[in-house]
Amino acid sequence: MLLPDHQYVTTNSLKECLRLLAESREKAMVVGGGTDVIFNMRLKLFQPDVAVSIRKLDELQQVEELTNGGLRIGAGARLADLAEHPAINDRYPAFAESVRAVASTHIRNMATLGGNICLHTRCAYTNNSEEWRKGLNSCFKTEGKICHVIQTSSRCLAINNADTPLALIILGAVLTLQSAGGSREVPIAEFYTNDGMDNTVLRPDELLTHITIPPVSDRTAFLKLAPRQGMDFATVAVAARCDGTGEKVSKVSIVVGSISTNPIILHEPSRIVSEQGLGDEAISAAVDSIRDELGPLTNLFSRASYKRQMANVLVRRVLVALRES
Amino acid sequence: MPPPNDLSVIGRRQPRLDGAEKCSGRSVFADDVDLPGMLCGKILRSPHAHARILKIDTSKAEALPGVKAVITAAHAKGMMGGRRGAEPVFADDLVTYKGREIAAIAALDERTAEKALQLIEVEYEELPPVLIMRHALQAGAPLVQADKPGNIWSDNIDSYGEPEQAFDTADLVFEEKFSTSVTHNLFAEFHVAVVDFTLPNKLTLWTPTQTGLLMQHALGPAFGLSVSQVQIIHLNTGGAFSGRGGVRPHHYIAALLSRKTQRPVKIFAAGDEEFLVCRALGENDYRMRIAVNKDGTIKAVDMDAHMDGGAFPSEVGYFGWMAGLCNSWVFPLQGNRLRRRVVMTNTRPHFLPHGGMMLTSNAAIMQLCTKIARSLGRDPIDFLRQNAIEAGHHGLSGEVFASCGLKECLDIVRRESGWDQKYGKLPDYHGIGVGIGAMASGAKGAFKHDTSAALVKIGEDGIVTLYTGIPDMGQGTHTTMAMITAEVLGIRADQVRVVAGDTDLTPIDVGAFAQRGTVQTGNAVKNAALDARGQLARNAAAQLGADEDQLVFRGGKIYAAGNPDKCLDFARVVYGTLHSGEGRFTMGRGFYNSPLKIKTTSWSFGAQVAEVRIDPETGVVSVLRVTVAHDVGRVINPLACEGQIDGQVFSAMSQLLYEEVLSDEGMYLNPSRLEYKMPRTYEMPEISHHFVETVDPYGPFGAKEIGEGIVVTTGGAIAAAVFDALGGQYIHKVPMSPWRILRAVRARERSAVA
Repeated sequence: MLLPDHQYVTTNSLKECLRLLAESREKAMVVGGGTDVIFNMRLKLFQPDVAVSIRKLDELQQVEELTNGGLRIGAGARLADLAEHPAINDRYPAFAESVRAVASTHIRNMATLGGNICLHTRCAYTNNSEEWRKGLNSCFKTEGKICHVIQTSSRCLAINNADTPLALIILGAVLTLQSAGGSREVPIAEFYTNDGMDNTVLRPDELLTHITIPPVSDRTAFLKLAPRQGMDFATVAVAARCDGTGEKVSKVSIVVGSISTNPIILHEPSRIVSEQGLGDEAISAAVDSIRDELGPLTNLFSRASYKRQMANVLVRRVLVALRES
Repeated sequence: MPPPNDLSVIGRRQPRLDGAEKCSGRSVFADDVDLPGMLCGKILRSPHAHARILKIDTSKAEALPGVKAVITAAHAKGMMGGRRGAEPVFADDLVTYKGREIAAIAALDERTAEKALQLIEVEYEELPPVLIMRHALQAGAPLVQADKPGNIWSDNIDSYGEPEQAFDTADLVFEEKFSTSVTHNLFAEFHVAVVDFTLPNKLTLWTPTQTGLLMQHALGPAFGLSVSQVQIIHLNTGGAFSGRGGVRPHHYIAALLSRKTQRPVKIFAAGDEEFLVCRALGENDYRMRIAVNKDGTIKAVDMDAHMDGGAFPSEVGYFGWMAGLCNSWVFPLQGNRLRRRVVMTNTRPHFLPHGGMMLTSNAAIMQLCTKIARSLGRDPIDFLRQNAIEAGHHGLSGEVFASCGLKECLDIVRRESGWDQKYGKLPDYHGIGVGIGAMASGAKGAFKHDTSAALVKIGEDGIVTLYTGIPDMGQGTHTTMAMITAEVLGIRADQVRVVAGDTDLTPIDVGAFAQRGTVQTGNAVKNAALDARGQLARNAAAQLGADEDQLVFRGGKIYAAGNPDKCLDFARVVYGTLHSGEGRFTMGRGFYNSPLKIKTTSWSFGAQVAEVRIDPETGVVSVLRVTVAHDVGRVINPLACEGQIDGQVFSAMSQLLYEEVLSDEGMYLNPSRLEYKMPRTYEMPEISHHFVETVDPYGPFGAKEIGEGIVVTTGGAIAAAVFDALGGQYIHKVPMSPWRILRAVRARERSAVA
């Protein structure tokens, strides 16, 4: 499987990069670590005219201390560096955990935080080579009008398998999206759409440049369940946060990932434990309430029924982890 | 374990002789071969599982600059590939599985070849496929092959001893159904073939294989060549695990393209293509019955198997036979009955996984044995020990077990695993299980003979070169062969250079399958080394004034037994033998073929205890510890034997708990290393290695196989441990994936409530 014909451009300044993205419109693709993009290019899922490398942009690789105690992380920072970063481990242990949960050491040595946040959705039918896909009709991802996962679906149901966004959502991180024409700040909780085909609000001329995490003193936790330890996408992953001590909590947030086209923010269980605390009964009630909010799950990568049960298990475990933290 | 006094090389921990070369990336594999003018070959495969080919138009592809040849079935008329020649190399007019070879291209480079593939126009008429064995057996199911009614490829019953009588008279009969899933052997080196067929009377093929000889025998007749006109070069083979037993269509296709273009051609499988090219396990359904008396005597086993052979079943039935037969290698049965129905489906032709079908059948048998022991109020190890065969036992199909340490193995694992402190005393969802197994070391069958031969050349500086045809696919057999040579000649193993992997250079060897390497090739190498030693002994005996048969070759010296102080230097004797009036250059030759009429001379035996913990909320099984005791006859290289154990425990755990090719309507959904789940080193259990040395009368220095005996036994032990952890509940399907385990946990919870 060879890469499709394309031009590979290493940009030397953010300005140059943004100009290139503005000029190429849909025909460009940003390459950070390349662990996802390059492989999908081999599968001919991505066939950009220009691959725009941001690896030489130092300004996107910094971790800056903010005066309010938060951090501003460049989107080009390597996951391996973030996993070891003292301030991150110190202040945002759940986020550090989510970074270490991504793939393997080798991949984290290449992959960037921005890349994991923008990770393309995945599907067992379509994420194979061009030759392989010939056995299937075209789907939304390949210029068709159907979804192989559920034939009647009006949208692509590929799964968002990224780990770090879950932690960043509960931490209230804000993404900086820059383009040649300007810059905007989008809370990461509002970054994802429920369309597997076009699963973020990032425009083709925009680049995710920075991730700002506000100061957080709350208790947090991140858990991931995967078929094997390391080098695997999650069956289900979950991140949670709360204020308060012991079983008495407030401002609870819970996010579940790897079961749908976007991370799912759970409202009802958060409300239940915020009101009733983190006692066993309240946790059970919270777990019982997630079914409706998860929506219909698919058999992609693992059985829907198993995934649903595991979502329950992980939500329970993450709430217990909060209680014990 | 100290080596016995009379051996100086064998029994010592010898690192692989090619270890540094492998670790530093200098070993050459087939894909590293780059010949002048070499073309890139690519194969167009059918996207449909069942279809009629109405039209193939290759004209656009042929017109693409850089394309040197495009071939289809029309260029391979009558050429049959596959084991037993049952599989046309290209689909002619009928496609019977997704991934079937339709056409092939040779082009100047890979990019051109990829583009040309897109330019071949094929018109198909899609036909209803039958993709699942259960469907294939239904009345009115579409036929995969018109002359195979009911999609039954073969239906064989073999009956040994008196199974009917045993079942009629037994106190109790236990019966369960088990099934397996489609797998891939997933070796590190994917399928690749480089062929130079530019001369009319010489075909050279570089490819990873377990057997150069079988490939010579398949390719020769197909191209009108004799066996020796086909040269197979298998420099290194990056893993095999039973999956490289012979030729595949891409070997023929590379040869056809090379002959047509008059240039060397390389074909290699792309990532997901690999899953269509490979020939691994298909879906098998077993019904296992065991007849037992109340006193604990196992009287008979009855296996009734349906085996999905895919579109071209080849020898699946034979390996089903082994899966049932092996029960009579561990139990002194009154009767053993094996029925195998090989079923055809419109799926990839299936062959066998690491451990053959024996791993999964043993997983079934050991769950059943644990159940029987519990029902009879017996300790499972006691129960198996009561039924374990001993040396001298005569098997039901003519086997004679000349050496057997099965009971000793059971005693060791009981002691070393802490069984008595654990069995029946572990907390919920924490289990311990025992498995036993046996494996034949070599087997006649591929040919009338099972011959390996070897040559030993000794340079005038005393450096020894060994020529052997046995492939090394990671098991370390070349180091083993060097050790055997060194032992005979009384030198160090690293003074032996091994030349292997080229049928032009090396004498005959049936290959590295059926666990025949150490016994068959080992004996041939020993004979060749003895022949060389005899030539040196004449010279040395004269110098020492001793009898030739009194000489000891040891530590680089030659001396008369009992008089090591008066010794000659090995290298000097070699030198003197050449630089003499006679001018003899020392070359030893030897071959070995089993002296017995029955297929096999010797069997390895083993027992293992596995300890597992199940997370009852997620269904994840963690294998904590595996205690292995194996009767290998004689340990030649403890380091390699331990490595074999570690690798096979990994493989058994992987097959039993993880591996499954998922599919939807014949489309594989996880054709990649990422999505075809195998565990990683993190999941490896703690392993303890123990060897029993029964010194077999046939093996070289008493050695037997350690190639697949372990993996089969581990399969049984882990399955029994899972059964125990679930409080005595069967898991009927392999792999025992978390969702299947979870279903059993729920069933257990429900029955506890009821």
